Amino acid sequence: MTLRLQFHPQAGKRKTAAGARALAAVFAVAFFAVAAPRTAAAADIKAGEQKAQVCAACHGPGGKSANPMYPILAGQPAQFIATALFEFREGKRKNEQMSPLAAKLTNADLNDLAAYFSAQPAPPPLRQTSAPNLTAGRDLTVKNACIACHGAKLLGQQQMPRIAGQFQDYLRTQLTNFKAGTRADMDGTMSSAAQGLSPQDIDVLADYLSGLPTQ
Amino acid sequence: MKINAALAAALLLTAGGIAQAQQAAAPAPSWQQGMSADQSTSTLHPLAGIVTGRPASELPLNKLKVPPGFKVEVFADGIPDARSIAIGDKGTVFVGNRNQSNVYAITSNGGKREVKVILKGLNAPNGVLFHKGTLFVAERERILRYDGIENSLDSPPAPKVVIDGLPQQPGHFWKTMAMGPDGKIYFNIGSPGNIVLPGYIQASISRVDPNTGKFEVVATGVRNSVGMDFDPRSKKLWFSSNARDWLGEDGPADILSMVKFKGEEHGYPYCHQGDMADPIYGKLRSCKEFSPPVHKLGPHIAPLGMRFYTGNMFPAEYKNSIFLAQHGSWNRTVKQGYNVIRVVVDPKGRVIKSEPFLEGFLTDEKADPPMWGRPVDVQQMKDGSLLVSDDYNGVVYRVSYSK
Repeated sequence: MTLRLQFHPQAGKRKTAAGARALAAVFAVAFFAVAAPRTAAAADIKAGEQKAQVCAACHGPGGKSANPMYPILAGQPAQFIATALFEFREGKRKNEQMSPLAAKLTNADLNDLAAYFSAQPAPPPLRQTSAPNLTAGRDLTVKNACIACHGAKLLGQQQMPRIAGQFQDYLRTQLTNFKAGTRADMDGTMSSAAQGLSPQDIDVLADYLSGLPTQ
Repeated sequence: MKINAALAAALLLTAGGIAQAQQAAAPAPSWQQGMSADQSTSTLHPLAGIVTGRPASELPLNKLKVPPGFKVEVFADGIPDARSIAIGDKGTVFVGNRNQSNVYAITSNGGKREVKVILKGLNAPNGVLFHKGTLFVAERERILRYDGIENSLDSPPAPKVVIDGLPQQPGHFWKTMAMGPDGKIYFNIGSPGNIVLPGYIQASISRVDPNTGKFEVVATGVRNSVGMDFDPRSKKLWFSSNARDWLGEDGPADILSMVKFKGEEHGYPYCHQGDMADPIYGKLRSCKEFSPPVHKLGPHIAPLGMRFYTGNMFPAEYKNSIFLAQHGSWNRTVKQGYNVIRVVVDPKGRVIKSEPFLEGFLTDEKADPPMWGRPVDVQQMKDGSLLVSDDYNGVVYRVSYSK
């Protein structure tokens, strides 16, 4: 007999939507005042630093977020940052706070922000993996070929983010959403990679990855 | 999908009522499918382009090499994910997208070159083809036609559907097209994974009559052809095709081949490169049953767009040569490709010689990434110069010749 059970991912609405929207609107105004239009040129860390001021309220100074609601951006690969912002801007990835902020970024903005955040040192992990998940987590990263793209130490490269030392809740939410097909995925790789993960696997991975060294 | 009774009962008892379906055998990503257990620690991975593209001013163009007398320059930048190229009757250069969703037009107006998005929101519009006033666009699951589009680039006409309902598939969903001497559109339907038994119209080259919509499979066992063109002398269809991954560094070879008759079988997934039985599917059918390729290009070299040169700008010996863009693959520790080659073939379908034509994108064959640009398609302009697209940088180059 075939039994079909529908999986409804929890929407995961875990903050004050109205406040966040108001905050986003304020930032959007402040942000675009400093983002002067510019024709294509090499990514500029200095310009990125200025443009990133608005990001700090949530993602922390230099992208070193201390709030598990907002991912750590410091030390992420530049190509990943630009790609993520691009996906928000183009509406492929959606988030109440990020979408309006990204909506009017130019390509130069994307690349400047990417250059800036990638140049910041990644903070050490904020928590320790529970002992049983040290081995279970490592095995899952091999079995699911996480290391093929995210690198042997899961520090990220090119368009693939550093997942080592990222926040546990954030990792869990992203993996759950990839599996549900609700997280943007330019070429389908992560969505299909997440299909093999059970909710328990996702918990193990989130615990394991969030405790990994970031260097 | 089968779920054991205990698990199902446990799930149904879950307090929050979240019913979680356990995936029995989840499919691997199409690129990873076919990877063996002893390759599980491999760090080889597909490469992605720069989503915003890069301006020409950021590119190390001085690294590019072409034969003496030829010149390469950037024709246009600002075309992120630049894939297939087509040339309109009035000289418009059309460029498609694979991972993004636009079709671009490059126009030249009194020496001023302009790049604009003319079609948006399409589903992997990788294939573009221009014929007698009509732009054909191949999306993931259908082919559209835009009649008379060059007359109204700023407000393109509503498209008509040539064919719809092509397979929904995770892997090799992007299409490329060639116009046949019979007025039909020839196009690929790739294999849905790295190494799988394809459905009967998958891993094929097929054709559709743009006027009637009549569809026919022309050749099977073609894993994924992303380049095809008709030899102007023999009128035979030549194609490039990408071989499977995860069988090692040195094989199987990607191929250049020719369709000799309708219904011809080219081997996939049973036999690769004409003489290498697949470890799984090779037990089902023998290599002797299939047409071998005309030419082995090399393992993991990723041949994509190809065109016979029919222009008058290049030296006479280039006439009827094939220009072939090699995207450069990823499933190899020491990378190769990332260039455009010239292959000289005779009208009977034999390869006379093969040589590099445009090189210099590959910077360090062992680095990750190993290159700064990736050629996708080649297309001849009306003046006989050759355009080359690069989806890593979102750039189109132009190669010209003068004595």
